[in-house]
Amino acid sequence: MAKPILDGIVVCDFSWVGAGPITTQNLGMMGATIIHIETHKRPEILRMTPPFKDRKPGVERSGYFSPRNANKLGLSLDLSKPEAIEVVKRLLTISDIVINNFSFGVMDRWGLSYEDVKKIKPDIIYIEMPPQGRTGPHKDFMAFGALINALVGATFLTGHPDQKPSGTGTNYTDHVPVPGHLTFAIMAALRHRRKTGEGQFIELAQSQAGVNMVSAIPVMDYAVNGRIQQRMGNRHLELAPHNLYNCKGERNWIAIAVYNDQEWESLKKVMGNPEWANNPKFATNEGRKANEDELDAKIEEWTSAKWHRQLMDELVKEGVRAGVVHSCRDVTEDYNLVQRGFWTYLMHPEAGVALYNHSPMRMSKAPVLSTTPANMIGQHNQQVLRDLLKYTDEEIKEMEEKGVLN
Amino acid sequence: MGSLSDIRVLEFASPYGGYAGKMFADLGADVIHIEPPEGDPTRFVWPFYKDKPDREGSLKYLYHNTSKRGMVLDITRPEGQEVFLELVKTADIVIEAFNPGFMESLSLGYEILKKVNPKIVYVSITPFGREGPYADFPGSNLTVSALAGWLYLAGTGNNKPALAYGEQAYMMAFCYAASGAMAAFYDAEATGEGQVVEISMQEAVVTACENACQYWDLEKIERRATEEIEAGRNVYECKDGYVSAMFSMGDNRYLWDPFWQWMKDEGRPDLAEIFGSEDFRGRAYRATDEAKQIFREKAEPFIKQFDKTYIYIETQKRRTVCYPVNDPKDVYENEQLNYRNYFKKLYHESLGGEVTYPGEVYYLEKMEWGLKPAPTFGQHTVEILKELGYADEQVGALKEGGVVIG
Repeated sequence: MAKPILDGIVVCDFSWVGAGPITTQNLGMMGATIIHIETHKRPEILRMTPPFKDRKPGVERSGYFSPRNANKLGLSLDLSKPEAIEVVKRLLTISDIVINNFSFGVMDRWGLSYEDVKKIKPDIIYIEMPPQGRTGPHKDFMAFGALINALVGATFLTGHPDQKPSGTGTNYTDHVPVPGHLTFAIMAALRHRRKTGEGQFIELAQSQAGVNMVSAIPVMDYAVNGRIQQRMGNRHLELAPHNLYNCKGERNWIAIAVYNDQEWESLKKVMGNPEWANNPKFATNEGRKANEDELDAKIEEWTSAKWHRQLMDELVKEGVRAGVVHSCRDVTEDYNLVQRGFWTYLMHPEAGVALYNHSPMRMSKAPVLSTTPANMIGQHNQQVLRDLLKYTDEEIKEMEEKGVLN
Repeated sequence: MGSLSDIRVLEFASPYGGYAGKMFADLGADVIHIEPPEGDPTRFVWPFYKDKPDREGSLKYLYHNTSKRGMVLDITRPEGQEVFLELVKTADIVIEAFNPGFMESLSLGYEILKKVNPKIVYVSITPFGREGPYADFPGSNLTVSALAGWLYLAGTGNNKPALAYGEQAYMMAFCYAASGAMAAFYDAEATGEGQVVEISMQEAVVTACENACQYWDLEKIERRATEEIEAGRNVYECKDGYVSAMFSMGDNRYLWDPFWQWMKDEGRPDLAEIFGSEDFRGRAYRATDEAKQIFREKAEPFIKQFDKTYIYIETQKRRTVCYPVNDPKDVYENEQLNYRNYFKKLYHESLGGEVTYPGEVYYLEKMEWGLKPAPTFGQHTVEILKELGYADEQVGALKEGGVVIG
């Protein structure tokens, strides 16, 4: 195996909760050394949010926190102490990237603004990820991922048409829209630095990543056509059938998406060519779309008497785009993901054996995966302070006594 | 300098769209969008500019292909394959989303391409991966979202889930494809050797499942959406639509206290008394059915009398959070985005009018981000062939044989 791509890159990571840690996880899986700075005095909210190992709460037991914090070194610092800021400054001299998602002014107060950090490390790549950007009337507005979803249209546009907007049921923008774009930008900045010797400032406004990813086309549609698109359950703007259908049992659904007449013929074949399906009004996509309510009702009548997994097997064999609606239990047991080695179990000192995932960026030469479990707060203080930052044992002991490492 | 202008990306048109190439192109890379003679499939999808079906007017095509150059090339023909191999010699990255094995069947797989250009980075995007038990399954945004577990989360109880708007399975794959391509390119520049970056949409989507897989792993719970786990945290109706509230978050009081104090400021000391009670200020009580019922009866009518912008601003003033559930029109008219000149208008000669686009995802201090209109059908075919050194008569022969269009 070749060396990981970011071998030797050091990230000074102040980020917490959602979009920041997932971004640095992407970098960590590619081999960067991520120094995850936390404090015992105020553990981040995900560390205290379920699920917990054996349902026992504890800051080192959260399965919300753990999967996004693999491959990181834990350094605990009480940043209200000037000595802790001095440690950060020494860390910055060996860092390539510094990232935070604090509210405005926090880094400035610590003397760690971009201007300050540049004096310590002239070629630093300095990342801020404010919810709505650093300028403008709403620049100081507080936000969480679920609320950015609402702001950018994801919530409004997702749900069943006869019900209130539901969104994705997750803090979606935190998971891929923000870290997906930011990882790209960081790689571009690293390449720029290697070519020119220059670091730079990167700002990623989370709302803007959200619009680009989720609501771009409906917003363009409004701007040029004056149309306000609405949520439409599981239907497609143009295609039919395209929906979820009840199957035997509880919470058992199958997704079926027919893209053309040939696929419709295949679906008909699996359904046993029932008479209703041969009605000419269903012969073309246009006709199927125009009679979608009836079409969906007929298909569901058929699927309701079937087991969803068996149905998927029969449908995909005939080339129909079909998929079982997996719960996350099913996903952890999914044949494809398991066979591809997507899941891995890592031993955590306190939480024991727990589930971690492979990066969705699979590379033929370089490994991109979870190798070490989530860091505990301050777990790697010795390693970071002594081995990386060259503090003496005496100095470290003094810091411990003064509460700098709390 | 200051952009990706020295990077060349060859991207094949796909039914999924071209967002991965767009990420490179908007930062200045020379992205050549290669279409088959029948055209990029996204040219024919709804909605269209001014609702007029036209090969140049699909908003999806226009959005996904900004800042690229366009070429029409038939790679199923030997002459087309030769042209493609000439292009590969000049390129850094190839991005394709064909069925597994398609490029190999044309003798254009990575093993062949790397003989022509050892530094080439080859990015493959497929629904379920190039290898594995589902490799040959037909895929779609809906069925991949279902098999990745993400869809299951968008619903509560036994209710049927609702698909996220905007083909997010594809969009997530593109984010990781672009990030992986940039990372592998960064590596290839240093080592002289490219590699294959494989993106499975299913794997990309699993990363959006938040903590749900860990809920199964650690607590044996099949998690669904978490809305209304506490009174004060849900989507609520207001005067002109809906708002997404996060007045409550566990035992934290910093969001809850300003909420009931706001009720007092609005002349409702009676409500402030109820919701400011010791009971309501803790998570345990707010999670009870009784508390949720009281919230529905007393707090929801309070919220309903205001419009969403008013609620948004008033709650932010008090440092609690309740965001507007914006529709596409609201997003387009959003004060903050417009202050930041986020939306960009581009004039399209082929349409005789302007199209509005979402703007920057990120600001990179040393790299220029910008939008140019997507290429018209075959717009740069001849220009690109000439750059490769094809003489006029060779270009003419390729055009006459239908191998290229332009």
